[in-house]
Amino acid sequence: MQPRDAVGDNIAARFTDRAIPFDEPRPYPFTRRAAAVIAAWLVPGAGHLVLGKTGRALLFFVTIVGAFALGLFLNGHLYWPTVADPPSMFHFDLITVLWFFAQIGSGLCYIGSYVLGLGTAPIPQAAASPTFEYGNTFMFLSGLLNYLVIHDAFDISAGRKR
Amino acid sequence: MHLLMMSMYAAMAAVVLAAVDPKADTTRQRFIHGLKVFGSFLGIGLLLSWLLFPIPW
Repeated sequence: MQPRDAVGDNIAARFTDRAIPFDEPRPYPFTRRAAAVIAAWLVPGAGHLVLGKTGRALLFFVTIVGAFALGLFLNGHLYWPTVADPPSMFHFDLITVLWFFAQIGSGLCYIGSYVLGLGTAPIPQAAASPTFEYGNTFMFLSGLLNYLVIHDAFDISAGRKR
Repeated sequence: MHLLMMSMYAAMAAVVLAAVDPKADTTRQRFIHGLKVFGSFLGIGLLLSWLLFPIPW
């Protein structure tokens, strides 16, 4: 066994006083961080997949895409900001802006459904379904939960959590 | 139907809220947090419906 010396003690002190301990999460490079956030918005769970969190990615994908699909199945409607009638100080009908904000959080689920013409029936026709409001609620839930997941992916990539 | 929808809503929200919980380090802690969130959604939903039921408008 080698005798302790000043150099060895100095190295040992550095390891105990590390600003970032070995078990602390560390920030990812900027490009991967940006890729994680964009992917997380486009496809729920994809941000975590970029960061190597496969289990959580799958869980988020199934839950959020499932909520959106259930909303469409229950005759939910895809909202778009509409101009207020009669005109108001916000120009747009504020409630449709909020609904659009909630739904667009689900990324490609919203865009893909819009392109495929799902959930785009005129509101009076869609609202005739008894499950119309249930469907809307699940689609809002899907988008809003994905905002949380995007934030979580950003926190992981920034080294704030595991 | 309404209870089923409420339960599904609570379950989906609980899964995501538990998985992103910053205080939970282990799967067990996340699972317990998820159960609490699920129970809270259902409990508060039922309580509110019970309180609002007598109101006629």
